[in-house]
Parts: sequence; C-alpha cells; structure tokens
Amino acid sequence: MKVEYKLQDKFDFWIFGALILLITIGLISIYSATVNHPTAYGNFQKQFFWVITSLTVFIIVYYLPQNLFRLIAIPSYALSIILLIIVLFAGKTVYGAKSWLDFGGIGFQPSEFAKIGTMLALSYWLTYKKRDINNFKDILIALVIGFVPIFLILLEPDMGTAIVFMAITIVMIFWSGISLFSLFVVLSPSIVIFASLFGIAPLIFVLIIIILSLFYFKKDIFTSITVFILNLASAFFFDFVFNLLKPHQQKRIESFLDPMADPLGSGYNALQAKVAIGSGGFLGKGFLQGNQTQLRFIPEQWTDFIYCVVGEEFGFIGSILVIILFVVIFIRLLGLANSSKDEFSSLTTIGILAILFAHFMINIGMNVGITPVIGLPLPYVSYGGSSLFVNMILIGIAFNTYRNRRQHI
Amino acid sequence: MTETFFGSVVRQRIILFVIIGFSFVVSINLFKMQILENPTYEKKSEENSIKKIVRYAPRGVFYDRNGEVLVSNKPSFTLQITPSQYKPNLTSMLENVMQEDSGYIADVLNKYKGFASNRPIRIKRDIDFQTLAWYEENSENLSGVDYVIETQRDYSYGVIGAHIFGYTKEITSKELAQKKEFYDLGDYIGSKGLEKTYEEYLRGSKGYNLVLVDSRQRIISRYLSGKEDISPIKGKDLVLTLDLPTQQKAEELFLGKKGAVVAIEPSTGEIIAFTSSPSFDLNSFASVTSGSTWNDLVNDPDKPLFNRATMSIYPPGSTIKMLEALIGLEENIIDKDYSVNCQGGYRFGDRFFKCTHVHGTVDMERSIEKSCNTYYYKLMLEIGLEKWAEYMRKFGFGSKTEVDISEESAGLVPDTEYYNRVYGPRGWTRGFLVSLGIGQGELSATPIQLAQYVSLLANSGETYKPHFVKGYINDDGELVKFPFEKIKVDIKKENFEIVRKGMYDVVNESGTATWIKQQDVVIAGKTGTSQNPHGKDHALFVGFAPYDNPKIAVAVFVENVGFGSTHAAPIARDLIRSYLRLDKQKEDKIETNIAGINN
Repeated sequence: MKVEYKLQDKFDFWIFGALILLITIGLISIYSATVNHPTAYGNFQKQFFWVITSLTVFIIVYYLPQNLFRLIAIPSYALSIILLIIVLFAGKTVYGAKSWLDFGGIGFQPSEFAKIGTMLALSYWLTYKKRDINNFKDILIALVIGFVPIFLILLEPDMGTAIVFMAITIVMIFWSGISLFSLFVVLSPSIVIFASLFGIAPLIFVLIIIILSLFYFKKDIFTSITVFILNLASAFFFDFVFNLLKPHQQKRIESFLDPMADPLGSGYNALQAKVAIGSGGFLGKGFLQGNQTQLRFIPEQWTDFIYCVVGEEFGFIGSILVIILFVVIFIRLLGLANSSKDEFSSLTTIGILAILFAHFMINIGMNVGITPVIGLPLPYVSYGGSSLFVNMILIGIAFNTYRNRRQHI
Repeated sequence: MTETFFGSVVRQRIILFVIIGFSFVVSINLFKMQILENPTYEKKSEENSIKKIVRYAPRGVFYDRNGEVLVSNKPSFTLQITPSQYKPNLTSMLENVMQEDSGYIADVLNKYKGFASNRPIRIKRDIDFQTLAWYEENSENLSGVDYVIETQRDYSYGVIGAHIFGYTKEITSKELAQKKEFYDLGDYIGSKGLEKTYEEYLRGSKGYNLVLVDSRQRIISRYLSGKEDISPIKGKDLVLTLDLPTQQKAEELFLGKKGAVVAIEPSTGEIIAFTSSPSFDLNSFASVTSGSTWNDLVNDPDKPLFNRATMSIYPPGSTIKMLEALIGLEENIIDKDYSVNCQGGYRFGDRFFKCTHVHGTVDMERSIEKSCNTYYYKLMLEIGLEKWAEYMRKFGFGSKTEVDISEESAGLVPDTEYYNRVYGPRGWTRGFLVSLGIGQGELSATPIQLAQYVSLLANSGETYKPHFVKGYINDDGELVKFPFEKIKVDIKKENFEIVRKGMYDVVNESGTATWIKQQDVVIAGKTGTSQNPHGKDHALFVGFAPYDNPKIAVAVFVENVGFGSTHAAPIARDLIRSYLRLDKQKEDKIETNIAGINN
C-alpha cells in the first residue's frame, strides 16, 4: 500500500534540529580548544569536513530500503567480530588501547562499526518469529551476541566502549519484554562487580541483598543457587578482567574512588575538568576566554573533555542547553521506537537510543565528576571523524525506520 | 512490572525515568558547581594551577680513547620571543643588538608559523654577555622577549670533527609523531653523525619542576616545595676510539686541501683519526641557524657538508694491487717468483695499455714496490672477472662498512652481471678487465673502505668493522663496551707476508714512496693515483706501521693534486708519527740531552 506523507511525518525535525545545534556547539568548542594549540590547530577544519561527509551519509542511509537492515544484520555482525579479532593482532595502539585499524592511510575503529552490527544482530535475534524472550536459551544466546564483542573490546582494552555494548545488550533485552526475575539475573552481576570495586565489605553486603532477593522471587532451590554462583563468578571474572587492564586504566578507576589521592596523575583531569566547568559560572567566560581551556590544563580537551569547554566558556546556560538538546533527542527516539509497529524497527531505535545515552551518561558523568574518567567521546560534540560518522549512520537508521513505519500496519 | 511483552508502556516509562533522572542529577550538579560553588572554582582556576616546567638533560660527553674531552657541554643563554606578546617594532633594535642581518627575526618566526602564539620561540642560542646585559637593562620595554638558560655543545677542545660528531636539531613534527614517548615539541634530537647514532645513550632523560601558576602563567610558587620535582638525568658519556693529538694533526694537515683520511687500529677496527675536508663549524649549528648560514653551506661548491671519507667514491688506483697479488697466490694462479717482463706497457687486442716506466723483469714483490702496471694487466686477465669480484667483496669493497655514523656509500665492484646490465652481454670485452687490474675503470671505493682494506692487509686478514665508539660509561663509572662484528678473510698468512713485504719495499727499499722512510719506525705502504676525467688526478696512499706489529693503518685521499707519493704519503707519515708519539719522544730525548749537557 502506497501512502503519501507530509514531510514532517517522514522526518523528525526535533531530533534533526537538536543534532545540528549540538554539532554546531561542538564545532565552536573544538575551534576554541584547538585554535592556539601547537599540534591540533587544524582540527576544526578536519571536523568540519567530517560534518559534511557524515550528513551526506546520513541522507543516504535515510533513503535506503528498510528491509535492508534486517538482511545485513547477521553479516554485519559477523564482519564486526572478524574486524574486532583482526584489530587485536594488527591494530594500532592509541591511548593504550589497540583499537585502530589502518586501511590505506584511513584509520577507523572496528568497535565503532561493531556498534551497528551488534545492535542489528540483537534486533534480528530478539524479534525473529515472535520469540519468547523469557526462554532461558534465548536470553543466553542474546547475551552471547552482546558479550562476544564486549569480551574482544575488553582485550584491546577499551573499558568505555565495552560499557556501551553492555548498555546496548541490557536495554535491548529489557525492551523485548524480559521478566523481572530474568532481568534480575542479567543485571545483578553488574551490581556485584560495581560493589567489588569498593572492597570486600560492600561486596558481601550486596551478596546478602542478592540472597534476600532470591528468597523474594521464590524460585526453586536449584535455580536460586545457580544464580548466586553466577553472581559470585562474575566478581572473580571482573577481577580477572581488571588485571588485564592497562595500569593507566586501573588507575583511572581507582582515582574515581578517590580523585584527590593523586592530583597530578589520573585524578588530575577529573579535577581540572571540574575546575573548568565550575569556574564557568552562569553565563560562562565567553568564547575563547576560558583560561582553563586556552592554557590547556586538560590534555586533548577537544575529544573526551569537550564538555568542559562548553561549561567554562558558555557557563550554566550552555551546559544546560547541551543536556536539554540530548534529552530532546532521547525522548523523541523513545517516541519513534514506540510509534513503530514493526518490532525489528522499534528495537533498532531502542538500541540506537541505548548507544547514544550510554555515551552521553559516561561522558557527561566524567566531565561533571559523577562517574569515573573513562575515555568516551560525547556524541556529535567531541572531535573525531569515525565517531561522528557512525553516530550519524545510527540516526540515519532510526529516521529510515520512522520514514517507513506505516508500511507494516 | 508484570507487563512482560515487547515495548510495553511500563518499560517505556522506566527508560524515560532513567533519561530524565540522570539528566536531572547532572543539572543539579551543574547548578551546584557553576552557580553555588562558582566562586571557589573561579578562585582555583585563577590562582592555583599546576604547571610542569621542563628541565632539559645535558647530553653525554665525548671522550677520546685516552679519556681526553673531545666535546662537552656549556651553559648558554637563549633569547626567545613569545609571538603573542611581542611587538614587531622591536625587531630592528633586537637585530642590531644581536648583530644579525635585518630580516633575521622574521625568518626565524616564519619557520614557526602555525604554532601556538603563546609558546616561546628560540630566536638565538648562545647570545653573548653584551646582549644579555643590554637585555637586563631594557627588559621592561621588551615585552614578549626573554631568555632561558640551556646547555649547549661545547666544541672548544681543539678538534673540529664535524662529520664525526654531527649535530642535533629541533625535532620535526614528523619525527615527533613516531617518537612521542620520549620527545616533546621544541626538544633537540641527534640529526647527524654520532649524535644521531647514539641518541638513545646521549639524550639522558628530561626532568621537570612543578610550579603553581596563575591564569596568566605567572609562577606563584613551587608545588609542594619541589618535593614532587624530578631532576633531569644527564646522558651517558661515550668513550670514542679517536686519538685527540692524531685527530688534531689530521685536521691540521688537511687545512686548505680537499680530501679525506681514515686511520684505524688494525687489530680492533677502532678509528684513530678521521677527517673530511673542507669541513664546517659545528658552532654554527649549535646556535639557532638562520636560513642564510645553512644555504651558504649547502651551496658551497666545495661541499663542506659532504662526508668525503664515507661518501666520496673514486677508483682506488694502484692501492688495489696487493689484493690482486693475494688472489694470484691464494688461488695458485701464480707464485711469488712468477715474473713479467715489463717493456713499458701491455698490448691487449689492438690497444696498448701503458705502464709508468720500463721496469724489465718484475716479480711479485717488485711489482708492488715499483707499482708495475704491466704485471697487473697480465695477472688480472689470468684471475678473471668473477674471481676478482669475489675477493674484492671479501675485503669489503662494494658494500657499506656500516661504520657507526650514517650516510655512507657502498662504492662499486663491477662483475659480469653488472657489465651485462650496463653494456649488454655483447657490449663489453675482456679489455675492460685490463683497466680494473690497476684499480681504474668502473671500480670505485670510499676512503673508509680503503682503510678497512689496509687494516686487513696489516693484520693478515683479521680486523673488526670500523667504528668510532668503544662504549659508554655507566653509573658506576665503568666503561661498558659495545660489541662490533669481526671481519675475517680466509687467506694464508704466508701469502699476506709476501704482499706485506712488497709494501715494506715501497717505503724502505727503492719503491715509490721511499722519501717517507723513517729512522725510528718502519712504515709499509702503497701509493696510488685515481684517474680523474674532470681535472687533475687524485692522490692516494694506504699504509701501516710499525711493520712488524701494526698499530695504525691509514688511508689518505687528496683530491686534484696528482701523484700519491708526493701529496698523500707524507700525511700518512705524519699521522703515524703522531699516533705513535714519536715526535714527543724525540723532544723528550732532546730535552734529556740538553739536561745532560747542563749537568
């Protein structure tokens, strides 16, 4: 059935408008952070080039036939895994993580591409023939789809990106209608791991809570014991992974717990970031006037700490504007997911929301000092071609399913 | 949460709650930091910021083989300009005081266009005290101009050694990209010579001081009274194989001449003296060079930057004859009594190849002593091209010696494959071999290859790869030696003895270099002339001494002067005397005699 739509029925101007504003704020901030920098002074032009390229790709993705995404779900996932394995052997090390592949002078991060692949594969698996998500085998396979890339990315090791993949997996399983108990089984290990960071006492405390919860769910004794052992094992597994991390990453996690312990080491960035944002005040110090930014107290500020530039030079008003723009995007994406009658499309949109929100949460969190300093860019705002490129493809996919949403009624 | 179906309203609300909840927490935090605690943060940002001030490590010192200093460091004052604070109307006054041409400052600043304008740029290193005093008096009016104390290479120990020591220069952004872990923008890195080869040892490690600065980068105080500061660690000192007096002598003898000399200790491969002339002044590289100084050096027709000792390739002339004699003996083609009747040349096909004289009957020893070409024309044809090329390579010709300074030529040993490639399989004849027999034609070698060759002759087929550095001095003050590869040529010792006797005769009997014969030391050697189609021939001499127990082997190469005996041999003689300290002994003797008379 062919239906004619008005443009606003096929294209979400709220999201697109917010995006363009965020990209503009990003360009202004990148200019401010790099214009006086001895080696990075060309980054504004490079980012501008990437904005144009990404917008073009966004339009192409928008016009692709919708069933294409379902078709390429499994192949793109397989390709993602292959690339993630190749990068472990042939990758280039950047900031301590072996995460870059070089293709004839053009570098890219397989983990960026794998976000698309994993999101599509999970959508495919979770919506295949009206699957019952509370079937143990099906959850397990969904978890495996999510955790293979997580494991490979932890080997690089890239903590931040691994967390993003965890968010994708959990949010998508959640959206497919997992039961409270199953969700508890999936989520409780993460809580155990987080508690184990703070030492033995909090860990035991959380384990007791888990035992109590297991009583509350009133499952049979065999299931309860299995779940408990799973939790315990995850704590040990995390300890194993923690030891795999590079010293600077271990330090970052440790310095989050006590940022003042090492003010010149890994806590330095967190501290200087807070000083930059805090000193911005209500209206900010003005464009190119932020002394923390201009005197380069925070290294590589145009990437992960770009939000500090906004905070320092454009103050509370600028910082809140960025938050509001993101919230607009998130809420509209949630709306798109809801309006889509096709489960595959709905789930991809939720996956995209999960990717963007995880980046947003970790990046803004570390800039404001409420989460550890884990290197992740702020979508659309931070400097970086491949990140912008992939994030625009994601929005392109979301818009594509929105454009085609009524074809499945 | 009982609704367990796809995308239920409850689930939608939970996601919405997380999004709004997190954003709310962030907003509260922003409000707290930017509005409520703003004064505290503003104060922090204005006043207390920690800054690292880099302290450069002095580079390792070069000692000669006896522990005499060759190159060390001295403190120097570097004038710098911070472009963002600098007023261009000061330029002509500054140039005047520094005694630089007008346009000098613009030149230097131009090189750093595109870098941060608040980063100081070195305008001139090693400014004199007059300039410094002038600056101190007028500093108030010189905004954006200041000076820093740095260490700089000190070349005041009486040797030039420009091609040996090389120099450092500011790291390029390309190099920086590759070596990010050790260097920063503005650091110096070894760029030529030993400074480059041994950069890892010489550079040491940088230190830093932590200071508290205000927002305008003004230093308020030391951070934690300097408790966290890291002192720079000086680079490792290197013990070179050079002998200071011999090196000085070599440089002195080549003043006004073009050419090169390499002297090696045959048993170890250690380079005793090494010079390439004309040379250049390393001091001009130690201070920030303006474009013009560099251009003058590059465009000089005498090519002072060109290292003639390792890079110039010329036919080695008659100095190669001993090697051919060795091939003849070792391959049983001839024995030492094999004789040739020299009638002033040799007819091959329709060409007549001339000899220097009519030598009459010449055996092997005499062929070397008299440098008879006829003998070698004939011998070469007996040896054949492939066998000859094989032995040439055994002695290191045709490939780089891998001496521990970069920039070296391999020279050329032509063989059948080479001639076929260049002239085509039918384009050349055995007549080509005749010229090769006396070291002319396509054969080419560098002076350092000749020095390695004569070391092998002196030491009967055994030496080490030539090198400039014995080792470095570790933290306990002990010398840690670097390993160098051994070179061994499998030729019977008695065969070496025969050609060595020939070389003895050259100087000590009635040969071509008898006039460098010495009373107090027995020198053996061989003269040579390298034919030069573009002008006067080049003079060559290879030799070693003492004859019985060689301590020094020398290869001398002087451009455009003619015959080897007159121009090259005396240089070898003087270096040998210098290294064996014969002149000093003589003086000592005279002194004791005078003392004796007085008594």
